[in-house]
Amino acid sequence: MKRGFVILSLGLLAAALGYCCVYVTATSSARSLQKSDQPELAWLKQEFNLSDAEFKRVSELHAAYLPKCHEMCRQIDTQNAQLQKLLADTTNVTPEIDTALAETARLRSECQRMMLRHFFQVSQTMPSEQGRRYLSWVTRKAFLPDYGMNEQP
Amino acid sequence: MKTNQPGDNDEALRKVLREWHTDASLPPRFQEEVWRRIERAQAPVALSAWAVMIHWIGVVLPRPALAASYVAVLLAIGVTVGWAQARQETARVKDELGQRYVRVLDPYQAPRR
Repeated sequence: MKRGFVILSLGLLAAALGYCCVYVTATSSARSLQKSDQPELAWLKQEFNLSDAEFKRVSELHAAYLPKCHEMCRQIDTQNAQLQKLLADTTNVTPEIDTALAETARLRSECQRMMLRHFFQVSQTMPSEQGRRYLSWVTRKAFLPDYGMNEQP
Repeated sequence: MKTNQPGDNDEALRKVLREWHTDASLPPRFQEEVWRRIERAQAPVALSAWAVMIHWIGVVLPRPALAASYVAVLLAIGVTVGWAQARQETARVKDELGQRYVRVLDPYQAPRR
C-alpha cells in the first residue's frame, strides 16, 4: 500500500515539475521583455528582429518623438476642456463652438501627420521587409476605428 | 462433494427429530425472513469508489510497467499544460506590449498624467 502511494506522489510530482520547468523556460523571453527599461521598445526589437544598430536608431527616434507627443497631448487636453466649457454654456452651435470644433479637427489632423511621419521614419530604419510589416501593423493600430486592437502584428 | 447417504449416523438423528415436538409458535413470516436474510448475505458487496481507488493504489499501481507508464503520462501532461499556458501567456504579454507601444506614440490613446 505504501509503495502505491509513493508512486502516486511521484507521478504528481513529475507532473508539477514538468509543468514548472516548461512554463518558466518558455515564458523567460516574455519576462525579460517586461523587466527591461522600456518594455515596448524591447518588444519592438524582438518582434521586428532589429539589430543593435537598428534598435539604437529606433530608440533615438522614439526619444525625440516623445516630447512632441506630450506637447500634443497637452494641446488636445486644453482644446477638449475649452470645447466642453463652450458646450456646457449653450444650447446652440455658436461661432465659438464652430471655431473650437475646427481647432479640434486641426489638432487631430496635425497629430496624425506627426505620428505618421514618425512611423515612416521608424520603418525606414528597419530592413525593408520588416519595415513594411511594421508600417502595416502600426498604421492599423493607430488609424483604424478600433485602433486595430484585435489584430496580430 | 460430500453427500448425505442414509446410514447409521443419520439414523440416530432422524429418530430424535421424529420424536421431537415443540409447542413454540414461529414468528410471523418466519420462512420469508429467513430467505431474505440468506439472499442479503449472498448478495455481492458493492465497493465504493474510494475503496476501488485504494485497492488500485495498493495493488495495481505498484506493478512496475504500470507505475512507469503512470509517471510518464503525468509528466507528459504536466509538460503539455505548461507549454500551452506559457505560449498563451507569452502571446498575451507580447500583445499587451504592442498595444502599449502604440499608446505611447498616439496622443489620442496616450494615458494622461
